[in-house]
Amino acid sequence: MSQKVLEVKNLTKKFGKFTAVNNISFEIREGEILGLLGPNGAGKTTTIHMLLDVMDPTSGTISYFGKNLKEKRSEILKQVNFSSAYISLPWLFTVEEVLRVYANLYEVPHKEYRIKRLLSEFEIEHLRKKTIHMLSAGEMARLLLTKAFINYPRIILLDEPTASLDPDIAVKIREFLRRQQKEYKVSMLFTSHNMAEVEEMCDNIVFLNNGKIIAKDKPENLSKQIPESEVEFITKHIEETKKFLNSQQISFVQNRNTFRINIKTKEISRFLTLMASQNLEYEDISINKPNLEDYFLKMSERRNL
Amino acid sequence: MAMVQRYFYNVKHSYDRLTDMFYWPMMDLLIWGLTGLYFAKLGGDSQHATTVLLTGIIFWIVTWRAQYEITTNLLSEMWDRNLVNIFASPLTVYEWISAVTIFGGLKMIISLLFSAGVAFLLYQYAFLQFGLWLFPIVVSLVITGWAAGFVVAAIIIRFGMKVQTIAWAGAYLIAPFSALYYPISVLPDWAQKVALIFPSSYIFEAMRQHIFTNTISVDKIVISFAINLVFLVLSICLFVLSFNKSKQMGLGRLI
Repeated sequence: MSQKVLEVKNLTKKFGKFTAVNNISFEIREGEILGLLGPNGAGKTTTIHMLLDVMDPTSGTISYFGKNLKEKRSEILKQVNFSSAYISLPWLFTVEEVLRVYANLYEVPHKEYRIKRLLSEFEIEHLRKKTIHMLSAGEMARLLLTKAFINYPRIILLDEPTASLDPDIAVKIREFLRRQQKEYKVSMLFTSHNMAEVEEMCDNIVFLNNGKIIAKDKPENLSKQIPESEVEFITKHIEETKKFLNSQQISFVQNRNTFRINIKTKEISRFLTLMASQNLEYEDISINKPNLEDYFLKMSERRNL
Repeated sequence: MAMVQRYFYNVKHSYDRLTDMFYWPMMDLLIWGLTGLYFAKLGGDSQHATTVLLTGIIFWIVTWRAQYEITTNLLSEMWDRNLVNIFASPLTVYEWISAVTIFGGLKMIISLLFSAGVAFLLYQYAFLQFGLWLFPIVVSLVITGWAAGFVVAAIIIRFGMKVQTIAWAGAYLIAPFSALYYPISVLPDWAQKVALIFPSSYIFEAMRQHIFTNTISVDKIVISFAINLVFLVLSICLFVLSFNKSKQMGLGRLI
């Protein structure tokens, strides 16, 4: 089994009487991508800020590479980096100036080579002399990622890394991240509101709600926790179908000849057999199995109740 | 060195920072120098009145700039929403303190030389008249500025940009008690007692003594260094305490 890169134990953050992060524990292994999900206010950013040592926890411990963050801060942070959609960079600097400063801050060897290589990887070499405040949101996101990889990090914390990127660039960024994971065994903590992206990228998910971990599993296993699938079909037998669904006490949404129902996934085949036995033919059918987004919505709904 | 480089780029790209270094000192020298000349003509002692005012201005620039550099460099991280970036790196708070003092010191020397040059050109004012005493005088005033800077920075790192106005006003709180242009004896009794706390008051008194008698009080300079040492240590401790307190609430809230 690969070694633990990050280990969080009983981490708690209180602001007065309010508990933002409540006794959470998780770990990330070498080369693992862990998704940190949860609705707004769940405690994701608070957790990330504690992991970066820009916020002190109320209690609990954070260890990277088997070393305590409080005790070996500088040594650890040389091998850690992050990118967040919620922070910026000195807005009057040029792109290369910003990267030079951060390369020096992290004591990166062969700085100019590293900067050139990363600018090329993220396809922003042409922005080298451009001032930060002239960058588009997508260019800025790519520059923040360039800064995040400047120090050959062993673990990287990514808070919405592909927010505001065009889909084609987002695909390239994901490919780059995957390559870093596979070739260099870079571990990642990943937050995103794009559930398809999280499902694609993450090996494991930690789901936070009200500061607590309410689920910790592989993305596909979390999706399976939603028992119902959505079945949508088109039929000519409108009246007969309505009658049949009512007799089965299945609620439905009808739009002309299209019906949409939610039904337990394991009962779909029985339902379709029953329809066939009633001679209710359908012209087209789609079965949407639950995905991570459905899980996210379900969990967020539960929070709002 | 990375942070010195970062603040150097700030100056390179910001007209505000260049204005701070050259424009305001020049305006102060013009206004106060000419005022000094006028009052001296009225009073008949042109040489001393102008020299006292010009020396006061140039020496005050040293203290003010030393304070200003620390606080505006901290604020620039907040304005740029860059505070989390730098303190999530291996940089320690003590390294940041070293960087802003080194960089502030370099900028202060440039401002000082520029101001002395302008004063010489406009008023034939000989800044080097203090000879080798210039070195301890300037060092003492820089330390006073750094101490004031870390006290102000401690307040800013704790309360954020809502109190940013003190970055400009901070050092001026001690200016009346430092007796830049007048002797301490003209202050009210209570203010004279307060003035004794501030190391800068001893330096400005020594400066005037030198102008009028061509001698310098070593005692005053030694006292100013002793008080400065205490102030600097206490101000750095206060800043570090305030930084740690701020970290409890999270530095991310300051951007």
